[in-house]
Amino acid sequence: MEPPAATSPGPAGPASLRRPATAPGATAPTQAGAVPTTHPVIDIENLDFYYGASQALHDISLSIDHHRVTAFIGPSGCGKSTLLRCLNRMNDLIDGTRVGRGRIRVHGVDINQPDVDVIELRKRVGMVFQKSNPFPKSIYENITYGLRLQGVKDKARLDEVVERSLRGAALWEEVKDRLHESGLGLSGGQQQRLCIARAIAVEPEVILMDEPCSALDPVATAKVEELIQDLRSKYCIVIVTHNMQQAARCSDRTAFFYLGRLIEYADTRDIFTNPANPQTEAYVSGRFG
Amino acid sequence: MPPAESAAAPAVEFAIQKRRVRFLGLTLDECIKLFFGGNAVVSIVVLTLITYFLFREGAGFFGQNRVNLQVYRQAGLEYVDYLRRQADDHTALTRYLADVRLRTVQHHTRTSGKSLEEANAALTEFDVYVERYSAAIDPLRTMVGELSEVASAIKTKFIVNEDKKEERRQLLAEGKMAEAARVAIDRVDFEAELRPIRAGFPAYRTLNRELSSTLTQLAGNIPALPVPELQQRMERFAVLSREYVGTFPEIERSLESWDHNAPISASQAFSSFLFGRQWLTASFWQDWYGIIPLLIGSLLVSLVALALAVPLGVGAAIYVNQIATPLEQKLIKPCIEFISAIPSVVLGFFGIAVLGQLLRNLSQSPALAWVPGFPYSERLNILTAGCLLALIAVPTIFTLAEDALNNVPRAFKEASFALGASRLQTTMRIIVPASLSGIISAVLLGLGRVIGETMVVLLCAGNRIAIPDFTQGFAFIVEPVHTMTGIIAQEMGEVVRGSIHYRALFVVGLVLFLLSLLINFGAQKIVRRYRISVG
Repeated sequence: MEPPAATSPGPAGPASLRRPATAPGATAPTQAGAVPTTHPVIDIENLDFYYGASQALHDISLSIDHHRVTAFIGPSGCGKSTLLRCLNRMNDLIDGTRVGRGRIRVHGVDINQPDVDVIELRKRVGMVFQKSNPFPKSIYENITYGLRLQGVKDKARLDEVVERSLRGAALWEEVKDRLHESGLGLSGGQQQRLCIARAIAVEPEVILMDEPCSALDPVATAKVEELIQDLRSKYCIVIVTHNMQQAARCSDRTAFFYLGRLIEYADTRDIFTNPANPQTEAYVSGRFG
Repeated sequence: MPPAESAAAPAVEFAIQKRRVRFLGLTLDECIKLFFGGNAVVSIVVLTLITYFLFREGAGFFGQNRVNLQVYRQAGLEYVDYLRRQADDHTALTRYLADVRLRTVQHHTRTSGKSLEEANAALTEFDVYVERYSAAIDPLRTMVGELSEVASAIKTKFIVNEDKKEERRQLLAEGKMAEAARVAIDRVDFEAELRPIRAGFPAYRTLNRELSSTLTQLAGNIPALPVPELQQRMERFAVLSREYVGTFPEIERSLESWDHNAPISASQAFSSFLFGRQWLTASFWQDWYGIIPLLIGSLLVSLVALALAVPLGVGAAIYVNQIATPLEQKLIKPCIEFISAIPSVVLGFFGIAVLGQLLRNLSQSPALAWVPGFPYSERLNILTAGCLLALIAVPTIFTLAEDALNNVPRAFKEASFALGASRLQTTMRIIVPASLSGIISAVLLGLGRVIGETMVVLLCAGNRIAIPDFTQGFAFIVEPVHTMTGIIAQEMGEVVRGSIHYRALFVVGLVLFLLSLLINFGAQKIVRRYRISVG
C-alpha cells in the first residue's frame, strides 16, 4: 500500500482547500442565494482515529465547503462512516473510541477540545442516519423534538417550524393532514424525509447523511436525492454512500477512502471521469469494492 | 438439460439418500416433536386440573354459607344481634366519654399544673355523669345476655341434629340399618323454640323507652369542662347521643317485623362473602366469611410494596441501562438479581427480628413525628410487610424493566443525541417513553409477584383480621392486617376437610388466583398493545 496520500486535488481543485481555517468564532452567514458562494466550513487536519487498539483512520486531511454536497465513497470498512461520525462526535457514544493525532475544526473551532459543548456542536452539525429512525411519537413531535429540548414552548413558533421543515424536506403536502399521527406510520422514504426534516428543524449549518438511501427503493431514493439538491443552497451537506451513481449524481465533490486512508479528494466530475489515482479509477470503474 | 448430453461429464458421486432411523415407528424428528409437545401439554393439563380443583372445592361454599346464614336467622341469632348492636353502639359512646376524660386530665396536669389527685377531684361531676350514662345500658345488656343463651341453645340443638343426620347417613351407607334406626332425631321447631325470645319484646319496648328518655335527658345536661375545645367535644357527644337515640324506633320496627322464616337468597350467600366486612371463624356465636378485610389487607400491603419497589426497581434499571459503566453494570445486576434468591421465610424472619424493630424505633424519633401514624407501637404491620415485599418485587421489576429499556432500538438514542439532546433528556424523553409499555408490564408482574407472596406477610403483616381505620389519613399504613395468602396458610392446616371454613379458604384461593390471572393478563395485553414496531 502506498503511503497515505493526503488530499490530492484534481486539476480543478480550488486553492481554498489548502487555505488555513478561518479565524475562530467567525461564523459564516448562511444565505440562500441563487448562486451560493463557497468557503470551507470543516477542516480536518492529519486525523488519526482509533477503535480501542485498532486504528480506523490514518492521517486524514480534507476540507469541506459550504453550499456544496460532499460525498464520501469507498468499500465497506474504509472508514468513511467513522469519519462522518467524527464530525459531530457521535463516536463518543461508542466505548473505547478516541481521536489520536490531528484536529477537526468547524468554523475554526477544534471540536475535540474539552471545553467544547458537544450538545451545541450537534445542534450546528445535524445528522441523518442510514436507517430511518423517527421516534415513536407523532410527526409533529418528531419535528419539534430538537426545539423543545432547547426549551421552545411557543406554539405558533413550533407550528411554523414544523411547516417550514416539512416543506424543506418536501414532505409537507403528503403529511399536512396527519401531523399528529405516529411517524412510524409513514412509508420508508417518507420516514427518511421526516428524519431530514427533523434535522433541519434545529437549523444546523452542516447536515451529515450516513447512507441515507441504502434502505430505500429507487423511487424514494430519487426523491431524497432531489431533496439533497434543494438543500444545497442552504446547508453544507456531507453524504456517505455506497452507491457510486448516487455520488456522481448529487455531489459536487467526492472523497474516496480505502483502508482508513483518504486516497483522493476532488471535484466529483474529475473523480469519475479523470481520477488521478489508479486505485480510485479501479474502484469507480467497478473493478473492486 | 437432457441426460444424454451429460454423459461426457465425469461421474460424480451424489449419494444424498439415507435410510431413516425409526423408533417405535417414528423418525427422530417426530420423537423430538412429541417430547416437547408433550411437555407443553402437561403444563396445560396441570393448569386445568388446578383450576378445576379450586372451583370444585370452592363451589360448595356458597351453598353451605346459605345454610349458615339461614340458621343464623332461624335460631334467632339475627334477632339478638339487633339488640347487641344497639348495646355496642352505646359502648362506643361511653368510650368517647372516656377519651374526653383522658384529655381533660391531661389538660389539668400539663397546662394547669395540677397534680393527678387534684385533676381527678376536679372531674367528680364528670365521673358521676359518665357513671349514669354507662349504667343506663345495663338492663339492655342483661336482656341481650339472656336472649343470647336461648338463641345459642337453639343453634346448638340444630347443629346436634345435623350431626346426628350425618351419623345416620353414614350408618346407612355402611349398611348398618338397625343402628341407623336407633339414632333419634327430633325435628327442631324453630317457631316454638323462638317463643321465649319473642315474648321478651314488650319488656324490651318498656326498657327502650326508659333508655331513650334517660339518654335524652343526659344529652341535654352535659357537664361543663374547662376548655372550649373540650366543651366542643362534649357538644359533639350530645349530638352523637341524640342521633343514637334516634335509631331506636328503627330497631324496634326491625324486631317487630323480623321473620325467622324469611328465606336467604343465593345472592345473599354470595354477597355476604364478597362484600362481608368480617372474617370470624370458630366462634361460639356465629361464623362470618367476608373477604373484604383480607382483600384490603392484601391490596394495601402490595400497594405499599409497589410504592417502594417501583421507584427503586425502575430507577435502578434506568441507571444500569443508561448511565452505568460496564463495570458497574457487572456489579449491580447480579446483586439485584441475587435478592430474589433469598428465601422468603428468611426475609420474614429478618422482618420480625430487625426491620420491624428498626422501623418502630425510627417512628418514635421526634424528627419523624410528622409522618402519618408515627409513632406507633405495633411492630408488625402493613409498613413492615410492605418494605419486605418491596424487596421481593424489586428484582422482578428491575429485570423486566431493564429488558424493556434494552429493547429500545439504539437508533432512537442516536437520533436524539444527534439533535443535541443531553443524556438525561434522551433517557427521559425517548428511552423511557419508548419502553413504557414494558415498564408498566414489569410493574404489573411485580404486583402479581407480591400479591401472591405468603411467607413474608404471614410473618410480618401482624395478622389482625380487621379493616384498617382510614379515617386518620395515611396512618393506616402502620396498622396490622391479615392477607388472603396469609389466612390460607394459617388456617388451612386446622380446618375439617369439607367444612364450610375449608371451602371458604378455597374460595379465597380462587379469588387470589383470578386476581393474579387478571394482573398477568393485563401485563401481557399492555406489552402486546403498545409494543413499538422496530424497523
